[in-house]
Amino acid sequence: MTIKRYYHGFEIVKDNCTGCTSCVRVCPTEAMRVREGKVEIDATRCIDCGNCVSVCKYKALVPHPDPLEKIRKFPYSAAIVTSAFAGQFSENISYKEVLAAVKKLGFNLVIEESMITGFMVRLIREYVRENKHIRPILSSNCPAVVRLIQVRFPSLLPNLLLMESPMGILAQYYRQKIADEQKLEPEEIGIFNIIPCIAELTATHAPEGARQKLYDGAFSIKVIYNEVKQILNSGEKLDTDFESYDAGLAWTLSGVEADLVDCDDIRTLSVNGIENVKDVLSKVEDHYLDQYDYIVVRNCKNGCVGGVLNVENPFVAMSRIKKLTKEARKVEFDDSEISEMNRQDAFKVDPILPRSMMKLDPDIKIALTKMKKLNEILTQLPGLNCSACGSPNCYSLAEDIVQGRAALDDCIILLKQTKEEEK
Amino acid sequence: MAEYIKVNPMYQDRIEEVFQTNINPEIVLEFEIHENDFVNSGKGSAELKVTIKRLGVDPAIMRKVAVAAYEAEINITAHSRGGVMTSNIFPDYVHIVFQDRGPGIEDLSKAMTPGFSTATDLVREMGFGAGLGLPNIERNSDIMKLDSAKNESTKLDVIIFFH
Ligand SMILES: Nc1ncnc2c1ncn2[C@@H]1O[C@H](COP(=O)(O)OP(=O)(O)OP(=O)(O)O)[C@@H](O)[C@H]1O
Ligand SMILES: [Mg+2]
Repeated sequence: MTIKRYYHGFEIVKDNCTGCTSCVRVCPTEAMRVREGKVEIDATRCIDCGNCVSVCKYKALVPHPDPLEKIRKFPYSAAIVTSAFAGQFSENISYKEVLAAVKKLGFNLVIEESMITGFMVRLIREYVRENKHIRPILSSNCPAVVRLIQVRFPSLLPNLLLMESPMGILAQYYRQKIADEQKLEPEEIGIFNIIPCIAELTATHAPEGARQKLYDGAFSIKVIYNEVKQILNSGEKLDTDFESYDAGLAWTLSGVEADLVDCDDIRTLSVNGIENVKDVLSKVEDHYLDQYDYIVVRNCKNGCVGGVLNVENPFVAMSRIKKLTKEARKVEFDDSEISEMNRQDAFKVDPILPRSMMKLDPDIKIALTKMKKLNEILTQLPGLNCSACGSPNCYSLAEDIVQGRAALDDCIILLKQTKEEEK
Repeated sequence: MAEYIKVNPMYQDRIEEVFQTNINPEIVLEFEIHENDFVNSGKGSAELKVTIKRLGVDPAIMRKVAVAAYEAEINITAHSRGGVMTSNIFPDYVHIVFQDRGPGIEDLSKAMTPGFSTATDLVREMGFGAGLGLPNIERNSDIMKLDSAKNESTKLDVIIFFH
């Protein structure tokens, strides 16, 4: 058996961890434990949603984006800017100035995710129509949700839209285009994502289902924001004589992708926030939502402006992006070459494999024995779900005990009772 | 009492065995289902689904269990005075028994007909009543047995094998 190691976009700084269990309690896949006073992560269960990073007050869980110097390692480098980035800046700064400042960081080219919003709508509709035998189709745009499905809802993997994300499509297209135009080898081109969340950081380094190398690194919105601010404050003259694609920016906000794809023969639903997503995926398993053709599922409540690597409050960012979209000059991006690549199936991804965490044991007989033991232990535990033992709730402590990863006296309430009885 | 039974031919030889009364399941899950309680209806099948996942049953089979159990649970909520769902888990199959407290089904073959429904307006408002539940249960189970009569209680047995 080969053991797959999973890449994660953040790391634990043990010295900073106080063992407070805040992260343990917000993890949607119960991947975190506090053991001997310090946090541990079960890498196979972690879906990189970033909830833990955003609740940690002690800087014990920190994202690790690539260092900016990486840009200069390539003869030619390009940035792909997530649409959420546009919502970070106050309205007295124009979006074009922001993009121009990004270029100044050392990029030869700045690409916007929003360029291909129109193309994405067509691509998704086509896919949904071609795959009539699968309902509903689930969006694969949010990497945290894709991983949630691998870990907790493996029966729904065939429902995923097996196509690259907008950033993946742009990376593929531009790597080829730049190589041709600049007479460079594809490896000589550095393609970097500017991203709003941990999940995208992980997806940049370990994209699920990708058939080829897509990216060379990722920088967080936070880091780029600070750099861009400095350039803007320096008063340096910026060249803003280019087109920007503001009209497609809203794609990144909750509800918009579903609204855009929705049409006479395609009924869509939009679901945001990991708890809502879990609830809806469970209903999809029961065939309770088969009346929908396409469901957009995203980890963050407001869409990508809610990711932990953003600077601005998600509601404020959302309102700014809406304003930009409303006031946008209608500039059409020429996607004829991308459409041609699509006809050659260039953007298909491989089926995504399960990563099931749910199984108690690979052998069902042993799993049954463990389940019986688990139920028995559960009757002894107090049911307070206090997390003081370091497991997220009583059920998972019982599971940890059965799996030999914890002991009954890790439960502080039980320990106290035993102490009192001894007296 | 009238009886309706459907058996997947693959499991014909296991009928006697699974309906024996002196066999002990490895795990038993019991769930009360209340009349017209659409808020909580579905929790029994959700619990069963999680258990089945934990045992590592194939995802496609897990979905069959989920669908059959959910439809049967809703039927007790919508059409009966309430009842009990008992899931008996064995190493290679699950046997779920839905026992309600009446008022029973007058004509079983009618009830099994796709599109037949006596659902009230309340039930229809909740999004049910297409008359597809029982046919759906039949399609997803390996053995299905429905026992009922007018003014009697209804008992539904659903058996799904894991391999
Ligand atoms: N437990 C029950 N007690 C009494 N009558 C029942 C019971 N289960 C089903 N029936 C009867 O059988 C009919 C058909 O059931 P079925 O589940 O196929 O459809 P439905 O419940 O009416 O609609 P749907 O399941 O599509 O929401 C019901 O309308 C009802 O008259
Ligand atoms: Mg029904």
